[in-house]
Amino acid sequence: MANPRIATQTVEHVERLEAYEHGFVSDIEQEFAPKGLSADTIRFISAKKEEPQWLLDWRLEAFERWQELEEPAWAKVHFPRIDYQDAYYYAAPKTKEGPKSLDEVDPEILAVYAKLGIPLGEQAVLAGVQGAPKYAVDAVFDSVSVVTTFKKELAAVGVIFCSFSEAVREHPELVKKYLGSVVPTSDNYYACLNSAVFSDGSFVYVPPGVRCPMELSTYFRINAAESGQFERTLIIADKAAYVSYLEGCTAPMRDENQLHAAVVELVLLEDAEIKYSTVQNWYPGDPQTGKGGIYNFVTKRADCRGDRSKVSWTQVETGSAITWKYPSCLLRGEGSVGEFYSIAITNGRQQADTGTKMIHLGANTRSRIISKGISAGKSSNTYRGLVSAHPKATGSRNFTQCDSLLIGKDCAAHTVPYIEARNGHSIFEHEATTTRLSEDQLFYAQQRGLSEEEAVQLLVNGFVREVLQELPMEFAVEAQKLVAISLEGSVG
Amino acid sequence: MSLATAFKSGDLTLLPSKRDEDWRWTDLRGLIREVPPPSPAFNGETPPGVFDHLAEDFHVLANGGSAQIVADEGELTAVLRFLSANDGTAHAAKVSIEVAAGASLTLLETYEGYGAGYFAQADLTIRLGEGAKLERIVLAGDDAEAISVSQAEVTLAAGSSYAQTVLTDGAKRQRIETRIAHPGAGASVRLDGGYLLRDRRHADLTTAIAHEGVDGTTSQLTKGVVDDQARGVFQGRITVAHGADRTDARMGHHALILSDRAEVDAKPELLIFADDVQCAHGNTVGALDENQLFYAQQRGLPADAARALLTAAFVGEVIDRIEHETARETARAWLNQWLGVGE
Amino acid sequence: MLSIQNLHASVGDKPIIKGLTLDVPAGEVHAIMGPNGAGKSTLSYVLTGRDGYEVTDGSATLNGEDLLALEPAERAAKGVFLSFQYPLEIPGVPALTFIRAAVNAQRKARGEEEIAAPAFLKTAKAEAARLKIDFDMLKRPLNVGFSGGEKKRMEILQMAMLSPKFLILDETDSGLDIDALKIVSEGVNAMRAPDRGMLVITHYQRLLDYIKPDRVHVLAAGRIVASGGPELALQLEAEGYDKYVTKDAA
Repeated sequence: MANPRIATQTVEHVERLEAYEHGFVSDIEQEFAPKGLSADTIRFISAKKEEPQWLLDWRLEAFERWQELEEPAWAKVHFPRIDYQDAYYYAAPKTKEGPKSLDEVDPEILAVYAKLGIPLGEQAVLAGVQGAPKYAVDAVFDSVSVVTTFKKELAAVGVIFCSFSEAVREHPELVKKYLGSVVPTSDNYYACLNSAVFSDGSFVYVPPGVRCPMELSTYFRINAAESGQFERTLIIADKAAYVSYLEGCTAPMRDENQLHAAVVELVLLEDAEIKYSTVQNWYPGDPQTGKGGIYNFVTKRADCRGDRSKVSWTQVETGSAITWKYPSCLLRGEGSVGEFYSIAITNGRQQADTGTKMIHLGANTRSRIISKGISAGKSSNTYRGLVSAHPKATGSRNFTQCDSLLIGKDCAAHTVPYIEARNGHSIFEHEATTTRLSEDQLFYAQQRGLSEEEAVQLLVNGFVREVLQELPMEFAVEAQKLVAISLEGSVG
Repeated sequence: MSLATAFKSGDLTLLPSKRDEDWRWTDLRGLIREVPPPSPAFNGETPPGVFDHLAEDFHVLANGGSAQIVADEGELTAVLRFLSANDGTAHAAKVSIEVAAGASLTLLETYEGYGAGYFAQADLTIRLGEGAKLERIVLAGDDAEAISVSQAEVTLAAGSSYAQTVLTDGAKRQRIETRIAHPGAGASVRLDGGYLLRDRRHADLTTAIAHEGVDGTTSQLTKGVVDDQARGVFQGRITVAHGADRTDARMGHHALILSDRAEVDAKPELLIFADDVQCAHGNTVGALDENQLFYAQQRGLPADAARALLTAAFVGEVIDRIEHETARETARAWLNQWLGVGE
Repeated sequence: MLSIQNLHASVGDKPIIKGLTLDVPAGEVHAIMGPNGAGKSTLSYVLTGRDGYEVTDGSATLNGEDLLALEPAERAAKGVFLSFQYPLEIPGVPALTFIRAAVNAQRKARGEEEIAAPAFLKTAKAEAARLKIDFDMLKRPLNVGFSGGEKKRMEILQMAMLSPKFLILDETDSGLDIDALKIVSEGVNAMRAPDRGMLVITHYQRLLDYIKPDRVHVLAAGRIVASGGPELALQLEAEGYDKYVTKDAA
């Protein structure tokens, strides 16, 4: 698929070989909450956002619970203790009021998104490649959603796509009904923290029988220093609704680690389908020293409440210093389906501990896990997954394929699956392999004229192909480039 | 370590619980309210054992005790029997096994429960010298109400070969654990298991193999069958250390669940710190294949016979890998007896 | 021999066989042809008693004995043999072990003596040779890793060893090249006998060049919609099933 935007990006990538591409810092006037975390910080955030009392209470309750929780230690990731008092929990671009249209958004911010290649202006999108699909975009800059596009066209079919703050104002009944219903506030340490201090994020509601006419996407950008980002995404697909949603993430290069603790909740009613794709490219930290980079501690969960509902998680995780992330599926509805397709690439000093949970609760539920982990440099890459079937989930099926590829002597690849089967009418299959890049294949490609780096990219792309195919077409092309770039400098 | 230490000190909080990652499916702490009395010395007559006639070296540890088995040259067949003879009492046994360089040992090991609801612990230390060979066959027949833990620490030298087959029908809580320090260096490991569980029995086969040097192989196959309200646990960990290149390690765990109230929990782990490796694991949990069952029935086998035939074939794969011929047939008889089929 | 009267059968809630009547006298070979989805395989599973195939009306008898009330193994012992379209792989069970277990189970059900190992092996060797099956193959787990043709030959071998009264061949030609087809057909033809009936289920006429039927029936939408001599098969080959499919839809 020809796309001049991607073509230009690729050229730029090639020009700037080893650099983290999105590592620029934008000089934008910011407004911060006072440093540190207390009930007052939370009141400040809530007041800034002019939230109703019930939401403030919800946050404060979460904060109370968070203080009693302990940071999890079971993941195969190592990092110095985070000082939660030494961070900003709210950073927003300074404007007098929220922007009413694209014209009112700080041109500096628009420039940032332009630099990232994100189509914010609807005009720009329309003027793009002929026949190219349209993407509605919600852009979140540090803590605040700056602009959501294509709202009118979506509203015409009843789809609500807006920032989380706006949803709290405009659709409180939906938010109240579903917020925290998939990931309860005290679910885990980071989700609980998010519940207390979440700043903004995206909200989607697709009414019964509606097939969302375009891809929805959110771009997250961390810009401010010493600030955490805690966005919250809530997507509800009503009966027989369908939506495909994509999120992309970038951050500037900084010496300090920055915390990103997001929560994503998906609710699926009868016959609904959600396709949720992530291309995560937060700053991974300095490849030599390991300094800086994002701590990506994310809780994502889909609740297939309705019969025959289907959720599909696809993730391409190339960034972050540490990734701790297990997009999960509660397969409650009879015949519901959960899928998890993952590419996780670690290079330099990155650490990733990621995977999924498939919880089979309803009869005849099905799940499929395809995970491709690639470790290079001095990195560590762990697949951790749980597949469980309850006694009532008879006739359930799971298939898991989990492959790890090692590039270089000093990296590590781990596979830690948990299988808990509790009925006699289900079938679970799990296969895993760990290998290094085949020297024979490398030589074969080189003999035909490819450079070593090109050969590696070619073989790696073959290795992850099955997952790339699950991404929306245009993002698949982008993701493929990202895979190549993440591995630069990993051979030789 | 676990049971004995806790009982000796009287501190039951030392027992592993489901909060310990390594014991998440085999909780001992929630099971025991008070320290059981120590088992009295055994002075009855030792009942005959299935392997007795093969013994060149014979050890019976009744209600605990210790033993030493040394194979210093040539080939030796040793029989090691752990007997639990009393009701509700606790005991621990300690055995050290040494196979000298170039020597070969067949170890035929049984756990036999004649009492009820006892607490038994066995600790084995196994050392293989260079080029040594050991085949260990374990038949565990504990009491339905017993709590039984057996832990083996195995250290291998270059070029040695270690083969193990553990077959068990479980207990109230039973753990059979094997930890192997694998030096690579041409040493090879075969590590197999089979659990056949009924009623409310539980069995936990846990293995951990650490490949520490280049050129090591591991082949692992465990099969399980659980019925009624039984619970089978398999935890297998293969670690390949930094620099342990040309390691070839494969692990398979496959289980059949025959009842909607039975449970199988599995955690097959690969922890890889070296790049020039071939490692794989496969895990399946499910019911007998309906299509195969129908096929066999269409050819005239009644449903029960078809089920037994397919189950025997399923577990039989583990038994076929036993090298010692007589032991293999004893194991097969044990399987057929459990299945209720004669041959 | 086989008599099916007004048979209705469903899979799940879905009716597939809808009033099928068919008589196959002893000594005859009948072919059932029909478009995909007509219920051909369903008929073979209903006759052999597979779980999930529910008879809602009608009857099926073999020499006057009700088949439908029997368990699959009991039907097998009465002499009903189904050659599967996709023979199953049985890991861990050598072909010889499997066949001997089946032979003896059927003998036991009929109150006969079990066959002794030497006699069994002798027959198996002879039959394998006739079907050009390498005897060593019979020591391997049944059908595991076998090619399509090998699996079908293994079905015919079992047929010969079990010596059934009534054969149902479900798409036996699928996945066979011409040489394998010949060997398999010869094996089947050798089974023809005055006291034995056969039902040959096939989508294509090709198989009937080798196994000549006495009668040909067209199965469409769960019923026999046409019957005739062998010429009907040739006519179907030339004209296709369209006319039967549309007739039913109207």
